[in-house]
Amino acid sequence: MTRTRTRVLVPVAILEGESVSLGLMNLLGTVDVTVLGYHVVPEQTPPDQARLQYEDRATEALEDLAEEFREAGGDADHRLVFTPDRRRTIDRVADATGSRAYAITGATGAVERLLVPLTGDVAVDRILSFLVDLVGVRPIGVTLFLATDEAADDAADDLLEAAAARLAERGIDARTTHVTGAPPFEALIDAVADHDAIVMGERAPSLRSLVFGEEAERVAAESVGPVIVVRRVPDEAGADAELDAAVEDDARSTEERGESGSDDEERDDAPSG
Amino acid sequence: MSGETPTAGGEAPPEEGGGTNIEGEAPAVEPTIETDEATITDDAELERTLGLSGGLAIGIGTMIGAGIFVFPGLAAGRAGPAAAASFAIGAVIALLVALPASELATAMPKSGGGYYFISRGLGALAGAIVGLSLWFGLVFATAFYLVGFGFYAVDTLAELGLAVGEGLVVPVALAFGAGFTVLNVTGTENAAKLQNGVVALLLSILVVFLLYGGLDALGLVGEPSTPETFAPYGTTPIFTTAALVFTSYLGFAQVATVAGEMRDPGRNLPLAMVGSVLVVGVLYVVTIFVATSAFPSARLATLGETAMVEVGREYLGAAGALAIVFGGLLATMSSANASVLSTSRAIYAVSKDALLPRWASRINLRYGTPHVALGLAGGPVLVLVATGQVEVLAEVASFLHLVLYGLICVALVALRRDEPDWYDPDFRVPGYPVVPVLGALASFALVGFMQPASQVIGAVVMLASAGWYLYYARDVSLKGAL
Repeated sequence: MTRTRTRVLVPVAILEGESVSLGLMNLLGTVDVTVLGYHVVPEQTPPDQARLQYEDRATEALEDLAEEFREAGGDADHRLVFTPDRRRTIDRVADATGSRAYAITGATGAVERLLVPLTGDVAVDRILSFLVDLVGVRPIGVTLFLATDEAADDAADDLLEAAAARLAERGIDARTTHVTGAPPFEALIDAVADHDAIVMGERAPSLRSLVFGEEAERVAAESVGPVIVVRRVPDEAGADAELDAAVEDDARSTEERGESGSDDEERDDAPSG
Repeated sequence: MSGETPTAGGEAPPEEGGGTNIEGEAPAVEPTIETDEATITDDAELERTLGLSGGLAIGIGTMIGAGIFVFPGLAAGRAGPAAAASFAIGAVIALLVALPASELATAMPKSGGGYYFISRGLGALAGAIVGLSLWFGLVFATAFYLVGFGFYAVDTLAELGLAVGEGLVVPVALAFGAGFTVLNVTGTENAAKLQNGVVALLLSILVVFLLYGGLDALGLVGEPSTPETFAPYGTTPIFTTAALVFTSYLGFAQVATVAGEMRDPGRNLPLAMVGSVLVVGVLYVVTIFVATSAFPSARLATLGETAMVEVGREYLGAAGALAIVFGGLLATMSSANASVLSTSRAIYAVSKDALLPRWASRINLRYGTPHVALGLAGGPVLVLVATGQVEVLAEVASFLHLVLYGLICVALVALRRDEPDWYDPDFRVPGYPVVPVLGALASFALVGFMQPASQVIGAVVMLASAGWYLYYARDVSLKGAL
């Protein structure tokens, strides 16, 4: 197999002493990691001044962190960015490094079971193929979670079953949870108990995310544990640097499309708005 | 920490920065790679986050406060309806400089703007004079905006039925300036987004007001007005007034001071600089037309700094007056805010090059803000605000900026005549060499039309800057040090 290994971006507020739990490091042991050390500068501060002052200290901390990731299993490198806009930096570096997901650090022990919400307009295919790479042959269970409005929703059950079957095929212990009638966000938070980390899909920006903040960030804040966010397909408008990564991902999606027979294929390639 | 510093020995080529100041600090010059999204240094990256709208908001937001809300009364009192021509002259000069500045900014998209171009194009002495003068120029400009804010704050109270008299203008401006400095040191979350919103709101208020006032003045709606002689005081006042109101155009170059943080600088910098000059230029000329159609210029002169409030009342009644008062508060605030952003970049750029002590731009751990630089801006601003001298503050600010603008044009010609390898701008001035030569001549000529007091103060600031360089950092060389 010549395909490049799956890479996950781990943004860390490096100068604020943010750390990565051992549980998350071990969970990411099967993939390559780019540790993104960032420092948010207020707008009245020239970013380069922050760099002059803090670069050495931050680089030292990042090197240590990358070394710990390497000890946990995968390959790891690091980048350091001074930015007024954290979100933009994460997107840019994730594109530039071809990262398929980024992690929101949180406290956790050894990871035994992942919670994977498939609610809403997320790229199910990308999430599942990422899970397969992430779990590998380790005894980590997966709970597929879906919240819908109506009780009798065959399409939802089909989606869950097809997804669970795909994971089971790869030897992953997959369970499903279908919650109906409850608000999706609250239902998800209620389901967090008994799980050590969450893997979820990135949603297109919406009015809701503008008002309440990004869903993944809210989930991370409520659940305390780490959240790994599988990124959307990069827009066509993306920079050349990410083209290779995008082509790579498309190829993979096509490859796996044969196995999954549901309507979420369309979602997968739907232009993200 | 200081990275690699090219040595400036006897054999070193002139295209190298080096030398140290009397404290032994050398310019922190490091090789960087500029992309559209970030600046990449050896070990770190700096995100570029300002888009075109952010750039326009800084440019327009800085400029619009003065030209529309402070100057119309003063300018009409000096030149009559021909003050519109004064503003037009200012716009043309600003454009003649904005174009060369755009070319230099796309070639060197770095923090510090005009200072950076001149220190790299003309050397450390010119750079030091301009860099330190730019700092003081911004200080004078900010003080001027704050006094303008004071007038509008007092007028707002008057509109709300609380007449406190003009004696409170300076205290209000001082209190606001002090509070503003403290806010900046302790961190103003999302002020940039606020700035965009404020500028958008302002533009909407102005366009509605000017559209209605313009139609009225042309006799299409309302009572036809009797036109006044265009230039009742002759032609010379048109030029002296142009020199005074040029302060209303000190904003496009502020876009260049944040060039290091602008996305896709090759496209956005020229658009933001030239675009903001065009937008405010048109608004200014229309404003004067509308104002002088409402009242005779002698009456406008007696109305002073807040003449526009009465113009608003004349056209749209109490609602018009309130809209203008509100707009004036927003505009002078956004001008002051944008100037503070530029000042911290200006001081940073100069201290990075060892022309000021490095501690001048240090960031404090608690808030992550450059408290020394903000204090070096805020302190002198308050002293100047206390004088309450609107016209002198405006002219000295103009003087110092005009010298900067003239030298920007000179730096462009110098670089173009003998283009170094590193010089590769994305945008090239149309009409070279006519545009930069005219820009330089016009900038220097405008200085000649100022009040003697302003000229003396401006010259003293520049001489003091040169003296500081000779005392503190005469061994530092910066020409071509990228």
